[in-house]
Amino acid sequence: MAQQEKDDASGQQTGRSLTMSRAMVEAIAHEMREDDEVFYMGEDVADYGGIFDSTEGLLDEFGRDRIMDVPISETAYLGAAVGAAQEGMRPIAELMFVDFFGVAMDQIYNQLAKNTYMSGGSVNVPMVLTAAVGGTYNDAAQHSQTLYGTFAHLPGMKVVVPSTAYDAKGLMHNAIRDDDPVVYMFHKRLMGIGWLPAPDGPKTGVPEDDYTIPFGSADIKREGADVTVVTLGLHVHRALEAAADLADDGIDVEVVDLRTLVPLDTDTIRDSVAKTGHLVVVDEDYRSYGVTGEIIASVAEAGLDDLEAVERVALPDVPIPYARPMEDEVVPGTDDIVAAVRAAQGDE
Amino acid sequence: MSGTDDRVAVETSDRWPDDADEDVGVVVNWFVAEGGHVEEGDAICEFQVEKVSVDVPAPVTGTLAEITIGEDEEFERGDRLAWIRPA
Repeated sequence: MAQQEKDDASGQQTGRSLTMSRAMVEAIAHEMREDDEVFYMGEDVADYGGIFDSTEGLLDEFGRDRIMDVPISETAYLGAAVGAAQEGMRPIAELMFVDFFGVAMDQIYNQLAKNTYMSGGSVNVPMVLTAAVGGTYNDAAQHSQTLYGTFAHLPGMKVVVPSTAYDAKGLMHNAIRDDDPVVYMFHKRLMGIGWLPAPDGPKTGVPEDDYTIPFGSADIKREGADVTVVTLGLHVHRALEAAADLADDGIDVEVVDLRTLVPLDTDTIRDSVAKTGHLVVVDEDYRSYGVTGEIIASVAEAGLDDLEAVERVALPDVPIPYARPMEDEVVPGTDDIVAAVRAAQGDE
Repeated sequence: MSGTDDRVAVETSDRWPDDADEDVGVVVNWFVAEGGHVEEGDAICEFQVEKVSVDVPAPVTGTLAEITIGEDEEFERGDRLAWIRPA
């Protein structure tokens, strides 16, 4: 399905590739031209263009009524966005670093996520909450988390985590058009900005026309027969690197990119594990009560017989250190994924 | 490098930020590969100087014939980044 989309889309052009941030902005600009109710608010999103280039250039085209800088009060502006959504607008509100969600937890967890349910369906909250996530650039414990599991844990929000420019654009179109609240988590390291270099993978061909990627459709970024690696975000690229290393030793790794955590495409994961028998789950979030445990449990519940070995790679349950060597130690690297795949193989 | 007469150079002197003290930039991203089609005015690459990112538009419509400064490579103000063969 996903491959079919790509083939159709890439046929429309030759040679153009975009960074993830530009692909996101292209989708936002398209939706803003189509629908006057779409607007963007957040800290430093207007004149500065977003500190991770998430809104670069939008102010010039759409002006200050629709690209709004806000004071540093997540409580106020996320609450305002929820209210605007309930009144029929389609706000996109940026939480500059996901780590700051705590000050607006009531607006996110009790309002954005629950108001549709608690109103008996009499209001929708068609809002996108964007947030920069991720470490690996030494920004310390309050600016480096991914918190995927925190948002995926509580019901009522769809949770999107793109890993490439192609996916980022299609998922953003889908997020803005969705009538439910969507949390769209973009990894800083994938955005393709000069002072924070990306790995080679996230810059991809991106069609100029609009297209959507449905939520709940994981993408197999690499086919393989021996071990299934399930991951998301930045670690898709580290898993692909690990798979390339392991291929030299004759270990054929399949890399499943979840793309959305809510809804979760358990069918693709289970089908892959049924084929390979070996499951490695890689996450940049904390190990306990998180994505790795959830994926493994969902496979074990439905297909325990398929499982020959399981390994998980995630952050240990510690605040993310500031010091570069210490951060490198706790954030899973390519070597850690290679070791986990070997361990899973060795359990045979 | 042969037959340069019909090719148009992509240069950056007129895109350099006015307030930059540095005369050395680094190419951050190419958005078109060699052999790809470019439209006049579209951003074909991006360079950075003193943490400011600058888009470089294609001077003419045509084919990106040759990239002379690759990604992550440094260059000096006024250096040629690429050649475009006009359509």
